[in-house]
Amino acid sequence: MTGYSHRDRCAITGIGATEFSKDSGRSELTLATEAARAALADAGLTVADVDGVVSCDHDLVSYSGIAESLGIPDLTYWGQTGPGGSGPCAMVGQAVAAILSGQATTVLVYRALNGRSGRRFGQGTPDPAARVGGQGGYEEFFAPYGLVTPGQFFALLAQRHMATYGTRHEALAHIAVACREAANRNPAAQMHDRVLTLEECAIARPISLPLRLFDFCLETDGACAVIVTAAERAADSPHPAVLVRAVTQSTGPRVQPGVMYPMLQRPDVTVTPSATAARTLFSRAGLGPSDVDVAQFYDCFTITVLLQLEDFGFCAKGEGGPFAESGALRRGGSLPSNTAGGNMSEGYVHGMNHVLEGVRQLRGTSTSQVEGAEVSLVTSAPPPGTSALLLVKG
Amino acid sequence: MTSVAFTDIVAHPLLPAEHDRDTAGFFAAARRGELVLRFCTACDQVLHLPRQACFACGGNESEWRPVPGRGHLYAWTVVTHQVHPAFAVPYTVVVVDVDGQPDGTRLVGRLAGEPVLTAGQPMRVRFDRAEDGTVVPNWEPGD
Repeated sequence: MTGYSHRDRCAITGIGATEFSKDSGRSELTLATEAARAALADAGLTVADVDGVVSCDHDLVSYSGIAESLGIPDLTYWGQTGPGGSGPCAMVGQAVAAILSGQATTVLVYRALNGRSGRRFGQGTPDPAARVGGQGGYEEFFAPYGLVTPGQFFALLAQRHMATYGTRHEALAHIAVACREAANRNPAAQMHDRVLTLEECAIARPISLPLRLFDFCLETDGACAVIVTAAERAADSPHPAVLVRAVTQSTGPRVQPGVMYPMLQRPDVTVTPSATAARTLFSRAGLGPSDVDVAQFYDCFTITVLLQLEDFGFCAKGEGGPFAESGALRRGGSLPSNTAGGNMSEGYVHGMNHVLEGVRQLRGTSTSQVEGAEVSLVTSAPPPGTSALLLVKG
Repeated sequence: MTSVAFTDIVAHPLLPAEHDRDTAGFFAAARRGELVLRFCTACDQVLHLPRQACFACGGNESEWRPVPGRGHLYAWTVVTHQVHPAFAVPYTVVVVDVDGQPDGTRLVGRLAGEPVLTAGQPMRVRFDRAEDGTVVPNWEPGD
């Protein structure tokens, strides 16, 4: 703990989202602009107030693109975090850093993607005609063997966890169903009208075993945005103040290069950078896992959630299966999670939607509201690094 | 390696880049039928994935050294959903702990179909050679 703390000094004062769909029919820039305008209106601010923007390096919408599209008079700060899933909480953290260092006062944080109608992450990236790898990404050690999608990578982690700890696929199904039940209560969720049962998860089409169809998140067109300001300016917001209690990024030791597959070289693939992130986050916040009232776990796959349950200390390493099977993540459980449906069932906005839902829980406006929620955890994916955010009521 | 046997394959679906300054030695050795890893010359730390500088001692000299083509199965996945046109399903991606190296020193292989596998079972390297001479070290169950 350094002497300089960001605890409770910034707030998320506005949140905005587009609809989530399979084909938005419009560009990522249009989506980002719509979400940004919605977030500004929600905060009671205007484009003229914005002097900072933060995005992730996966986003096709550049800082100059969004500034021009919105008509921002002058950006005095712009920044980018690492790739998609690990980005959202880190993006809020970068906004906090910009504000507390005096480089900006009102920071727009956004993520926009046509994840279904545009580039689909689930389709893998290599061009069959080209040689794969080089340039520091180390794909040459993975892609020639048909290891070409995130789902295949996470299936390896799931298999290892099952072999090591006896984890059952049923535990993963409980995670998928908890997300789906929340989505069924959220009219904005892509899967709002689609019920999912544990039995359906068990017999679903295998994709990359042990993972089956409902262990995978959605592919979504959509955008989300938030507005970050200094805490004292939250008083001007029309909503109850939601403070950034603490935020962190973390690589952990031996992070490995590249974006995903090299993580297979970590000594134990069932331990993610969430373990070190949790230590830093809770230390900065002066809180612990038992203080968390509601959580939004990054859920590109069900196994991603299970690993984080352990690494954040909600249960011991290896106990994520029984913990999930206890129903802890569902409404009324000990750790209600992904209460808008998550990437699994609300929409895959790369976890930026998780930040919005973390804010709603403290405003009291979630469609799966946890009564009296005061501490709201949001996480952004491992690998390669990770980031996480603890929000509290102002 | 005492003897080198190549497995000729009609076409390898995705061939690795062989020009990268940090990793090229791995594939150059494979063309000779050797499995090599990169080690710090000063402190003998294995540097995998391959890179020159040593995180353990700060050294900046490293070299390729042959290692026995033996390992044990760390994890696997049976891919049943066709994603990439180059890889017909089902196939099985295996992740292998290379014998005699620190935890995390792993190489990947691919087996056709859905073989019955057991966690920790012995694996051995196989050199898959494409028509153009590119060789990709692959892994299969072994004694």
